[in-house]
Formats: sequence, structure tokens, C-alpha cells
Amino acid sequence: MTIRVLIVDAKAERSRALDQALVEAGFEVMTTVDESEDLYTVMERLQPDAVIVDAALPSRDTLEHLGQLGRRFPKPMIMLAEEETPELTQQAAQAGVSAYVVDSVMPALVRSMINVAVTSFEAHRALKGELTRTQESLAQRRAIDRAKALIMENRTCGEDAAYQYLRTTAMNRRMTIHELAQELLAATGKKS
Amino acid sequence: MSATREFPAPELARLTLGMLPLNDAAPLVVAVEEGFFAAEGLEVSLSVESSWAGLRDAMQLGLLDGAQMLALMPLSSTLGIDGRRTPMLSALTLNLGGNAITVSQALHAQMQALGDEALTEPLGQARALKRVIEQRRLAGEPPLRFANVYPFSSHRYLLRYWLAAGGIDPERDLELRVVPPPLMVSQLEAGGLDGYCVGEPWNRLAQGRGLGHVLCGSFDIWGASQEKVFGVREAWAERYPDTHRAVLRGLLRACAWLDRSAANRQRAAHLLCVGGYLDVAPQVVEQGLRHLADARGEKGAPGATLFQRHATNFPWYSHTRWYANQMQRWGHLPGDLDLEALIARCVRPDLYRQAAADIGLSSPLDDSKTEGAHDREWSLPGTRGGIDMGPDRFLDGGVFGA
Repeated sequence: MTIRVLIVDAKAERSRALDQALVEAGFEVMTTVDESEDLYTVMERLQPDAVIVDAALPSRDTLEHLGQLGRRFPKPMIMLAEEETPELTQQAAQAGVSAYVVDSVMPALVRSMINVAVTSFEAHRALKGELTRTQESLAQRRAIDRAKALIMENRTCGEDAAYQYLRTTAMNRRMTIHELAQELLAATGKKS
Repeated sequence: MSATREFPAPELARLTLGMLPLNDAAPLVVAVEEGFFAAEGLEVSLSVESSWAGLRDAMQLGLLDGAQMLALMPLSSTLGIDGRRTPMLSALTLNLGGNAITVSQALHAQMQALGDEALTEPLGQARALKRVIEQRRLAGEPPLRFANVYPFSSHRYLLRYWLAAGGIDPERDLELRVVPPPLMVSQLEAGGLDGYCVGEPWNRLAQGRGLGHVLCGSFDIWGASQEKVFGVREAWAERYPDTHRAVLRGLLRACAWLDRSAANRQRAAHLLCVGGYLDVAPQVVEQGLRHLADARGEKGAPGATLFQRHATNFPWYSHTRWYANQMQRWGHLPGDLDLEALIARCVRPDLYRQAAADIGLSSPLDDSKTEGAHDREWSLPGTRGGIDMGPDRFLDGGVFGA
């Protein structure tokens, strides 16, 4: 039996590579969708045996609900793996891969599928020089700190005044502080 | 600093705690940024997760030491119905209230046209919604679609309680989905959703953009509604009791700081945005975190939240019992379960009292209270004098016995 996989990912290049790797490993990839699609309709229509989803997408919680709705919907990997493959689940979590699988898929096939996804995600990260999830939030904080320092320097003001400036400007321009910080740093040629 | 010297040193000096990018992660962010954890000898880094499922996985895999959690998560994880069976417990509630129910402008207009009661109180609102549902059924229109944030969430059970109070059957009369908070507003705009129950800032955001109408908040449905908790694995709590106690002290101090003044609330909003924890426009976060003393000035102030007043942080058995009863009501939890034993395992007022006594806070003497019996402020006896409590009324006047 061929395992029919749905990919949920917003990064087109990465999901194309994953699609190819899965097919080479003997899986059937039904399609790739991103968050803007209605997952309830997609899941009802396609009834995949497994879903591989970028762990950074908040839509995981929708897949959790679907998993609660009945046997025909895939369940979170952490529930299926039980104690058999804790290392693999941990590895997947660190690589940013989440998976949902129906009960009937053989554990060996689940392992193989997860391995393919973890390898594919890590190859993409290495290629693109992307940050891991923890590094991302740290980088975000640093960008804001540096933007604040920049304002304090340019306007010879204190930290609170710099924050007020960021806040007011972000508000007027309907941006978040992080977006504004990135823009300020880009404008002055400093790397965010 | 010297005051903390009398406590046993924490077994762990470095911790990673999980949170979601939400206003009510404020106690964790404040404890880190204002030095309340450092004063306890703890070096804490916060890991911002993007979904409750992701946070649950990280807890169950042991990648986090503790986390901001949905109130039902320790119980669901211990039972093995949410992810892998992993005993978890909570000894501290982070906040009360904070959610609201928002409907699309189109649905609100229909409710106004059909409701013969004023749409200002939650029971009348739910009854007006029932009339809209009946009319749609007669006209052969598809059922309305409402969303909440996670299967085991307060949002789901507050929404269902509100619907049922208005005579609506949540299973048959409409379609209930789970949609991540950041996507709710856009789905409301696109017509994929007719309404939702979510925490701030996602209600104010919809109303501010003219896309939705905020009907009522958690406190309008249940005056004492418990929201997020701080949870840890049971095995972790047994292995690192002094670390756990130090974290609880740091959080208690952060929560007290948050409820001390309007200026502190504003400062917390600043820390959430400028710290890079929450990527939302600062004024929206500030409005949502506004001090209750200010927020009460607005009509109803849906989405208002408490971090310390009215014994917010005490982990009441009766809070978890109410939610567990709601789960049983809708068939989400078996009815033949030894619920009391489970609650005693996952909810730990004994650990709360130790940490509270360490810093001289008065704790409630009982582990449960009657929910729904108080229309106005009341006083509760405590270990160090009386505690001022808030109204805890349910929208339908129901009383949930201790």
C-alpha cells in the first residue's frame, strides 16, 4: 500500500525538494498547501494517510482538532510513536518537522517518512543559511535592540524615548515594532 | 536580594520555559525582563512556540522545563488524550479572563434585526444568535461557522457554555472549528468564519479594523474564569522541588507587579513588543493589557484580564473541576473517570501555599470554592488575613457547588 502524504508548508522551494525526496522513497505526495487554504476542506476531500507540516505554522492546532474528530483523520506523531521512537520525535521537533499519521500506517513506514522529511528540512536550512526556531526569536530581539540603539545615537535620547519613537512610528505606519526595526536597520545599511 | 537567601538554592540554575505569543504570557516575560527570576537565582530563557500542539510536544519530549499552558493541558496530558501520556501538574494560575467572543459585522446586523432583547448582555446575545440560526435553517442556508483556538481550551468550553445558555446545540446548530489566533481576523474578513472566541489582541484587532463586533468577554460568561496556568511535568516537579518553588515565587512577584498599577501594565506591553516576544502593533497590545481599573470604564471591557487580584494565582480544584465537567458534558471526557483523584494529581494548591508563604502572601484555606454564587466583591479567609475576591457569576445564574 502506498502512503498518501499531504504537505503543509509555506516555503515553496523547500516543499518541492521534500515532495521529490518522498516520491523517491516510495511515498505518494498528494499536494502541497499553505496556511491560506482551508485545511478542513482539504483534509475532507483528500483524506491523506499522513500530513507533514512545518512545525512553525500555527495551523498545527487545526490538525490537532481534525485528529480528534475521528479515525479517518491522521493523529499527531507524538501520540503514535509512543515510547518506540522518542529520539526520532525529538529530532523532528528540533528540525521543525511535525507529522500526523493515521493508525493503519506501519511504524517502519512512519519512521522512514519522518527521516526523509528531517533530512530534507535540514538540507534546506543548511543551503539557505536559515536560523533555527530558537535562533529566530533571539535574532528578532537583537534587531529591535539595535534599532533602539540607533535611535538613541541619532537623536541623543534615552531608552524610553527611543521606545516611544519606535512605538509611535510603528503605530502611525501600521507596522509591528520588529518590522519597523528591520526597516530602520536596512535603511542605514546595518544587518538585522 | 538578601531576602531570597533563606530559601534552599534551586537545583537548576538555567531553565527554558515555553510560551505562546499572547498578551497573557506577560507574567513570564515580566519575570525575565524585570529580574524577578534573577532575584531567585534563576537564569531563564523563554522559548516562543507557534502552536499549542508545538508547546505540548516540547513539554512531553522534555525540551522545556515548564510552560505557560491552557488550563486543561496538565489534566489532558496526564490522561493521555492530548499527545503522549505524560503526567503534568500546575501549582499556579497565571491569569483570569482575557478572552472574548467576536462576530462578523454581517452576523451582528442579523442578530440586531432578529433579537427582540437588547444585545448588551451575553444571554440576550446568545438568544438572538439562536433566532438567526433558526431563520437560516428555514431559508436552507448552510450552518454558521465559529472557531476557537484548541481542542482542550477554555475558549472552547466558554463558547459552548454561552451557546448552550442561549438554547443552541453546539454539535448540530453550527460548525465549530479550531483556527490559530493570527488567522482568525483574516478568516472573519474572508467570510470563512462567522464568529470566534479568542484571547487578546485578536478581538480588538477585528473590531478596530471594522471587520467584527466584540459581543462579550470571559468575565461576562463566568466571572472567575480561569485562563492560562504555569505547568511542569510531574517527574520534573519531583526531581527539582526547590527550582519549581523558586519559579513560582518569581511568577507570583511578576503577577503582583502586573496588577499593581496601570503604568506597570503599559510597561509590560512595551516588554512584550520590544522584547520581540509578540509581533503585533504595540497599541493593540497596550489596549488589551489595560489595567482593570481603567478597563472597567469602557463598556463591559471584554478581554480584560487579572494577573493577581482576587486570588488569581491560586490553583483552585473547583476551576479545573468546572472545566472537566464541561468536557464531560460534551462527551470529551469519559463520565466514569475518577475525576477527583485526577484533579488532586494535576492541581497542586499545596505547592502554591509553600511558595506564597515564602514571600508572605495570604493563601486561601480551602482547595475549592463555590463557583457562581457571588454577584459582587466578597472576602475569603486566608492564611494571613482575608483575601478580597471578585464576582464569579455565570451568565445563566448557575451555581457550581464546592
